[in-house]
Amino acid sequence: MKLTVSHPAHIREGVTINKIMWSKIAILLVLSLISAVVFGPKALAVVLISVLAAVLTEAGIQKLTKQELTIKDGDAVLIGLIMALLLPPTVDLWIPVVGAFFAVALVKHAFGGLGSTLFNPAIAAWVFMNMSWGALTGSESIPYLSGYTDLFIEFGSGRLAEVSSMVLIIGGLYLIYKKYIDWRIPTLYLISTIVMALLIGEELSYVITGMLFLGIFILAPDPTTSPITKKGRFIYGILCGILTVVYGYLTYDYVVAVLFTVFFANAVAPFIEKNTFPKPVNEVSA
Amino acid sequence: MTTEEVKKETPKKKKESGKQVVIPLLQHIGITCKPLVKVKDEVLIGQKIGENSDGLCAPVHSSIAGHVVAIEERLHPLCGKISSIVIESDETNRAIEYNPHNNPSKEDIINAVQEAGIVDLTGYPLYDMLTTYNRIDTVLINLTFPGDVNSNCAPENIPKIIEGMKLLMKGSGALDGAFIIHKYNQSLSSVIKSKLHDENIEIFTVKDNYSPTMANLLAYEITGIPVPNTQTPLDAGVILSSASGALAVTRAVNEGIPHIEANVTVSGAVRNPGTRRVNIGTSFKEVIQSSGGYSGEPGKIIMNGSLNGTAQPNDEVPVIKSTTEIIVQSTDEVLCESPGPCIHCARCVDVCPVNILPGRIASFSDMGMYDECFKMHVSSCIECGQCFYVCPSNRHLVQLIKFAKVELVKLLTIPDEEATPIPGCQTCENPCLLGEPFISGGIA
Repeated sequence: MKLTVSHPAHIREGVTINKIMWSKIAILLVLSLISAVVFGPKALAVVLISVLAAVLTEAGIQKLTKQELTIKDGDAVLIGLIMALLLPPTVDLWIPVVGAFFAVALVKHAFGGLGSTLFNPAIAAWVFMNMSWGALTGSESIPYLSGYTDLFIEFGSGRLAEVSSMVLIIGGLYLIYKKYIDWRIPTLYLISTIVMALLIGEELSYVITGMLFLGIFILAPDPTTSPITKKGRFIYGILCGILTVVYGYLTYDYVVAVLFTVFFANAVAPFIEKNTFPKPVNEVSA
Repeated sequence: MTTEEVKKETPKKKKESGKQVVIPLLQHIGITCKPLVKVKDEVLIGQKIGENSDGLCAPVHSSIAGHVVAIEERLHPLCGKISSIVIESDETNRAIEYNPHNNPSKEDIINAVQEAGIVDLTGYPLYDMLTTYNRIDTVLINLTFPGDVNSNCAPENIPKIIEGMKLLMKGSGALDGAFIIHKYNQSLSSVIKSKLHDENIEIFTVKDNYSPTMANLLAYEITGIPVPNTQTPLDAGVILSSASGALAVTRAVNEGIPHIEANVTVSGAVRNPGTRRVNIGTSFKEVIQSSGGYSGEPGKIIMNGSLNGTAQPNDEVPVIKSTTEIIVQSTDEVLCESPGPCIHCARCVDVCPVNILPGRIASFSDMGMYDECFKMHVSSCIECGQCFYVCPSNRHLVQLIKFAKVELVKLLTIPDEEATPIPGCQTCENPCLLGEPFISGGIA
């Protein structure tokens, strides 16, 4: 009889990185399929090429640097998928390839791989593409919430992610219910956006877009780039809401506002975290 | 209570019956007992066989009648090897004459608890709590530790637990008492309510399960007085005991029986899981065999809870006074995934009961930056194991945090012969890694 001796604990809850990543991917895949219905098969091509490029880049880098292959954890797939959803369906197909390479090679692996990124790779790649080829990656229309049916399917959307808010809301609530993402950032982000919009007298039908819900449920609560302290996550959520409305109010584009918001909020997340370290309940008095 | 008072019986000796108990001389926080018997001495049930009056110490008693086979170092479920008294049974039930108290005074209770060597689940001798210099206002009995509740809170034990609570209140001079029950354990709370006829004893419901190492947090939750890790609940004017402790007090005072038995729940990969009353010193192997034996190949044997229990090196270790639960995991239940990178998901921060950042501390510990760990309040950690339980990346958070603590002790210790030794186990000079309830948590 061989017995294992190890430190406690001896059981696990069963939530793993793989489960978290693949459930997010599943939600976004549903969204991609709906976007294919709205925009036609070109949308699917953008998604496929982007995911493929991200996965191949990750595999290539890990082969070159002789690391263990970690395609299975789904992070590269998720990066490619999110990045594709931020693009309009009219985009040239070489752009997602360059973007995916930028995201995986420079934003993810150059900073240390999974868990060490400063910016969300997909967002950073989108910012890079937007700066470099603004005319090619810009959308042709900005969605406007004209009725409740627009929450389910939005035909006026300019980017793939905006086609259905409902998929993102249901998926996001599922993620929170399964404790795959934290409830603080989504709740605070949503509340502060609405409060801020009401405060400066903006019409909510411009503010509430599919991209806002992607930001609330997928982009902002991304574990690596958001603060880890409880208080920090409250502040981060509020900050995201304020930034979104301010940027959107000044540029009349609440879709791009969400993306730049998450980018800027990622940049200040370490600062927020550093200033909100909790005090232990039973602090040992020196 | 001496052996001379006992009428001699003719021992019916059977050569093949090799039933042995191994009674470790250290089953508590404090100093090791000195043996009072020699090899080949006859001992009776309840006879005191080890004691040390030099310091904090709970005497140990023989749990069976027979003769001493050996006094040697044997495996201990918490502290590696400890010198133990091995007693071989003579298949009789000869016991010493017990000395029950019918209407005990405060001194009677304290004496009885001390003589009986009662040790609480935390490993702390109960008499020391009663004789503390602090003014004690409240006696709390924690009924939220699942192992303790499963083993000791059978309906027929409830009146004894309530009686134990009253004795503890009388012994300590406390005016109030309270049972702490998890809010989902309605059946237990209704049973206690129906048996409770005392205005001074209340029932509190709490939201979490508190294991014995979380005593300070529980005291803080109930009284509102923060208790740092260097203190005990006594400093908040609270005696915090458990169902097992209360039962032992009732037996010691009302029946005069010392702490020689424990209720142990066997669960996991055994054929007949359930609760059994076993003598202190019985090996885990025998307890598991009386539960029908292993079903399948055992991979891990854990004492006192899956979350912060201690894994045992083999099944020869004896049951000690603070044992309430034996969990057997089959080989495929044993965790053996390799850890991945931290993705900073903050799930450990959300579950941490003492409000520190376990993942961050573990990362610093992994890199050898122990001074940073100290700045992040690593010493506040009570090693409850919940961060490890929720980590999606299989990181060994508790182990890394414990390692940081050990390294910090090495860094901070002044190299001086007069430095105060670590209380508890004195078999080796290193800080103890195995016996976490004895050295860390709410007690150290």
